[in-house]
Amino acid sequence: MKKLVLTLSAVLLSVLLSAQDPTGGVKGTVVNREDRQGIENANLTLLQGAVEIAKVTTDTAGNFLIPDLADGMYTLVIDAPDFLETRVEVTVNDGYVKNMFNLSVTPSQKLSDLGDDSFAQFDMDDSGFKDNPTILFGSQDVFNSIAGYNFSAVRFRARGYASESQDVMLAGVKLNDAVTGYSPYSLWSGLNEATRSKESAFGSEVADFGFGGYNGMTNIYGNASSMRRLLRGSVMTNSSLYRLRLMTSYGTGLMDNGWAFAVNFSARLGGNDWIDGVYYKSFAYYFAVDRAIGNHHKIGAAFFGTPGERGAQNASTQEVYDLMGDNMYNSNWGYQNGKVRNARVRKVHEPVAFIKYDFTPNDDFSASATVLYRFGKNGYTALDWYDAQDPRPDYYRNLPSYFMDEREDMNRDNPLKWGWTREVWTHSSDFPELTHINWDRLYAVNAIQDGGRSKYVQEERHVDQSDLNFAGSFKWRQSDKFTLTGGVSARMNKTEYYKEVADLLGGRYFMDIDNFAERDFAAQPYKLQNDLDYYMEHGKARVLVEGDKYGYDYYAQVRDFGGWLNGKFSAGKFSGNVGVKAGYNSFWREGLLRKGLFPGVDENGRNLIVDGVEIQPTYEPDGSVVTSYGKSKVSNFFTYAAKGGLSFVISSHQKISGNIGYFQDAPKFNQAFLSPRTRNSLVEGLEPVKTFSSDINWLFFATGINIRLTAFYTAILDQSKVMSAYDDLQNAFSNFAMNNIDERHAGIEFGLKVPTRIVPNLSLQTVLALGRYEYISTPRMTQTLDNSAETVMENVLVPYWRTTSLHDGTVKQHYVPSTPQIAASVGLSYNYNYWFIDADVEYFGESYLDMNPLYRTDYATAGRDLNATDEEILYMTSQEKFDPAILVNFSVGKSWYIHRKYQLGMNINAKNILNNRDVKTGGYEQTRIVDNTVNNERYYRFDPKYFYMPGFNYMINVYFRF
Amino acid sequence: MKKILIYFAAFAALVSCTDLKEEWQPVLTCGDIEPAPKTLYTESSLPGEVNFISITDLKKMYKSGGLEIEDNVWIKGQVTSSDKSGNIYRELYIQDETGGIDVKVGKSSLYSEYLLGQWVYVNCKGLQLGAYNGMPQLGAPPDETSTNEYETSYIDVQVLIDQHVFPGAYDEPLDPIAITPADIRTSINKGFTGELWGKLVKLDGLTYKNEIFALVYPNPNLPHKSGNPENRVFFSDKGTWGITTWAMSKNKMLEYLDTPYVTPNGAMVNPDGTPVCIWDEVEVGSGNTRYGAIARITPASVLKDGKTLDSFGDDAYLTYKEIMRKYASANYVSHYFDFGGIDVQVRTSGYAKFSDEELDGRLREGTGSATIVGILTIYNDSAQITLVDEPSISVKVKDVAGTN
Repeated sequence: MKKLVLTLSAVLLSVLLSAQDPTGGVKGTVVNREDRQGIENANLTLLQGAVEIAKVTTDTAGNFLIPDLADGMYTLVIDAPDFLETRVEVTVNDGYVKNMFNLSVTPSQKLSDLGDDSFAQFDMDDSGFKDNPTILFGSQDVFNSIAGYNFSAVRFRARGYASESQDVMLAGVKLNDAVTGYSPYSLWSGLNEATRSKESAFGSEVADFGFGGYNGMTNIYGNASSMRRLLRGSVMTNSSLYRLRLMTSYGTGLMDNGWAFAVNFSARLGGNDWIDGVYYKSFAYYFAVDRAIGNHHKIGAAFFGTPGERGAQNASTQEVYDLMGDNMYNSNWGYQNGKVRNARVRKVHEPVAFIKYDFTPNDDFSASATVLYRFGKNGYTALDWYDAQDPRPDYYRNLPSYFMDEREDMNRDNPLKWGWTREVWTHSSDFPELTHINWDRLYAVNAIQDGGRSKYVQEERHVDQSDLNFAGSFKWRQSDKFTLTGGVSARMNKTEYYKEVADLLGGRYFMDIDNFAERDFAAQPYKLQNDLDYYMEHGKARVLVEGDKYGYDYYAQVRDFGGWLNGKFSAGKFSGNVGVKAGYNSFWREGLLRKGLFPGVDENGRNLIVDGVEIQPTYEPDGSVVTSYGKSKVSNFFTYAAKGGLSFVISSHQKISGNIGYFQDAPKFNQAFLSPRTRNSLVEGLEPVKTFSSDINWLFFATGINIRLTAFYTAILDQSKVMSAYDDLQNAFSNFAMNNIDERHAGIEFGLKVPTRIVPNLSLQTVLALGRYEYISTPRMTQTLDNSAETVMENVLVPYWRTTSLHDGTVKQHYVPSTPQIAASVGLSYNYNYWFIDADVEYFGESYLDMNPLYRTDYATAGRDLNATDEEILYMTSQEKFDPAILVNFSVGKSWYIHRKYQLGMNINAKNILNNRDVKTGGYEQTRIVDNTVNNERYYRFDPKYFYMPGFNYMINVYFRF
Repeated sequence: MKKILIYFAAFAALVSCTDLKEEWQPVLTCGDIEPAPKTLYTESSLPGEVNFISITDLKKMYKSGGLEIEDNVWIKGQVTSSDKSGNIYRELYIQDETGGIDVKVGKSSLYSEYLLGQWVYVNCKGLQLGAYNGMPQLGAPPDETSTNEYETSYIDVQVLIDQHVFPGAYDEPLDPIAITPADIRTSINKGFTGELWGKLVKLDGLTYKNEIFALVYPNPNLPHKSGNPENRVFFSDKGTWGITTWAMSKNKMLEYLDTPYVTPNGAMVNPDGTPVCIWDEVEVGSGNTRYGAIARITPASVLKDGKTLDSFGDDAYLTYKEIMRKYASANYVSHYFDFGGIDVQVRTSGYAKFSDEELDGRLREGTGSATIVGILTIYNDSAQITLVDEPSISVKVKDVAGTN
């Protein structure tokens, strides 16, 4: 502001002092091409040939004036943060000040709307594998603006961090999932317009709206007055996710009467070219209102939701992909009456409502407070079956490898069966009932059961949140040299985990019993009961019809409280900040069903008597009773963090800055319980996660040139993880709880955007993320079974987690998986006359497969003969590295004004033009072992499962605004 | 505001257009449209040329070592087995008027798809007729592994099942055939082609011999073939070893392992005061190779071929009893009955849902006799009965005096 005043004053003064000669000039208003709003602080440089004649900055309304120009031809270069550089030819004649009126510039945001709907819904079961990429925002930052778009296809994670470490806020409230920490983008999928206005910070920066962690943060305003003042409609189709997106929005902006209204609706429909069974039938709505009361108060409210469903993609082994000749094969679907039906469908409607109050008594102080409530249903369907054959088409016993294996020790040699299974999979169109889910068979089996008891049902697993949040923050500008920001937050989250019968598949009823338990405890019917209280009351298991809850039902209860303060200071060329945060986190499980396997004791602490028999409870290590029912022990954690940052302005074009931070975060609920579906037992030795993070950055910015170079180092210690899988050695469903997982993330980020100067309006843009994200500790693991309170392995070391270490001294490091450790992009960007064209080439390398801990134990490497040879260790513990990938992308966009009132625009994105269909984006190892070998000397792995990126795909978006 | 409403109405009309949704969404998103009922085969709807022979005629084709059937041969029969109780696993028994046979359909929960009494047509061409310790089986060609000991393998590839096993019409479940000891003798004399093998039968007047046979592998993860007697514990020669149930689940086995030996004078105790258990005397080994009682010896204390047993690793210093506790798993039990002078074993799997069900006390005390319904099989010239249903249904006990 001060700069602007000085600039304009200087201009005015010079006009007054030299009023005679020359008298020509240029004036106008720089506006955003999308909403015609004036742009403040746009830099305008007037050139005559290569000579810089003048330089001015726009005022708050976007106006500018360049006086004292001699007649002649000039080039006016407009450069504004977040907008593409724009060049305009100007001729000054006869000493007049030429009025250019509105000079519109185009936002530099990439063509695609990023959000969680940019990514397929993957189906990971309970593998523990997470596949959530980081969504990078912040078009001010050259690295984020390019990498955020170009790297998303490979599910890139910034600096190798888990996406949960990125804080995602709405209206000032941190909305990362209370139970898992996952990013909450799905809450507003399809509401691109309503959530377009946002502010971001990267790395461990502290923002005015929040303290954040070490992986950046984003705050979506989400209120009515932040939505653009226009009516907009768009139609989009893309070939990799859904056929059609229809979207409309309207915002009034803050009107003179102090009100602002905004609405946004969308529908995403249909399948895609690449993955059968993946489809969308999703809708979205958003209503918001703001009311400004005088100049100092504003209150706003919003209500939105995204009801709908989407089909999920499953991972398969490479054997299946190779046989099918298709790395995008999806085992989740099958034909029913000639139509594709997906067994795994996400069905969601989680509305969010918030009220926000902003208080701005003067220019130096502002404060806001938000109350936000999230509720509704989040379901995920899957097949369930009782005493019937496994319906999954790619079940390992249905594959050729189950019948023949070159390794003699595997004892698999039946050429006839190998040949037939191979025939089936390589001619899948002739055998759709065998290579996809055979819905007809499931219905047929159910149809002949005595009394109509379904053998197969479609269940819907629910994670239904009731999430009440409060957040308040303030900003106090004490002087030009010091600003204090701070905030408080509170969260009460009650998430109900349960499943219900979604579809009886033609049958009449299902029974609420645990069929895993039935195999072991058939003689003790009470142990089979998922609802023992019902059994005790009625003498039989509960009969289920569609819509009934069954299996498990419990609350994850989470309470979070916290506060933070941050002081920003500046002194000459130095500026910096120091901030602290403290919080208190509690969580516990509250079982709503008494499960027969873990009945505990009655409300008076007495042993239960079932079927006339007194049930002896089992006990936790601390002496408490193991139970499925009621409230578990409460886990409490004091959390804190401290951050500091310092920057130094080297010159008007260069700045160097550094950040340092230490964080102690509570583990999440989903990492804390051994088997939350069955009992209250907590993972032993649960520790807060400690993170030390640091980075140093060099920034260079001049007209059209933008460079960032960052070096970072982060250590994340004492993480824990729980995963579940069937264990062949125990013949039971098993849980693996790991703790003491330490990681080190170090590397550089480089972003560059520079005009080529060879061709006008053509820029070179490049980014490089080069890191080394590795495991640095030897974790411990405890293995338990769903069917028993006994511990299979208790706190054993996982010696090959960090490295594969052989007796001969060879050591191979293991890495943090599921993101490329080298990602690079080089491209050209051209924009002229509202055309913008981008083309880039990307390279991704050093990406690794997610590991399971079982394969890294002495137990698995030694095998039955208890002797681990180097060959066995190498085989069992090595971590797979994915092949590097090169991708080429192209995009073009153009907009036109119609009668200077309406705007019609279109974007076309073509991704993966080389049609590279062998790019693995992630995957996981199955936690299963082949143990029935001939020699009884060793074990073998099950094949890992992978996800692949689609080949060539496109997106076409046409929009209309007025 | 009017503009908003008009725009929203147009938008809503567009997205709710059924035709559009059908066009863009070839995906079934509800379960309302149920598939048509499954088509069952009749003799006339079977594919290709069908040449039926009787089950007994099929058995007559058997050659030692097994035979892969190359001719166009079909059999038909009604289902007599059910794996619902878990005592039959990955096998489907069918029978016609002439005999029964075990069709090794290698899938679990077959009772959900093949109902008792249902007709089944089997295209035998390409399948393997074999014997398992004398019992006729129809399966897939055997595995070609070096360790394979079986003449047939499971038909566990769905496409093979679809090509060979054709489900036909549902019919009333067959009644068991009441047989006499003489009938069994006749079948035993006929060996493989005995017409009773694989048939659902009823035996009346069985008396319990208070004798069982079981084989437990102390560490089932280690080699336990006959060449490895150090990992085999035989329960034979000596009564029932305290086993009173039809078989033993894992938990039941652990219970038996620690069942004290009680004499009329009370529980016996070791010199150190610990109770003597019934199983403490059971021996490791088989035939003439016996290493000693499970409670007293460790793998490290015995020699095989002049060497200590190193395959047990750290477990080598545990007693066999401790090893059995550590690796406990479900185990089958065969109970011996006398049927008119013929030994008939009732063999029950430890994975059967009724495995821990007690034998009627009158049988054990010799005051009752049993009528048993099950599938009759042959095992090395001995008759065995496999219960299809739980004992409360399959085994009727009456007092020897003749009252129920």
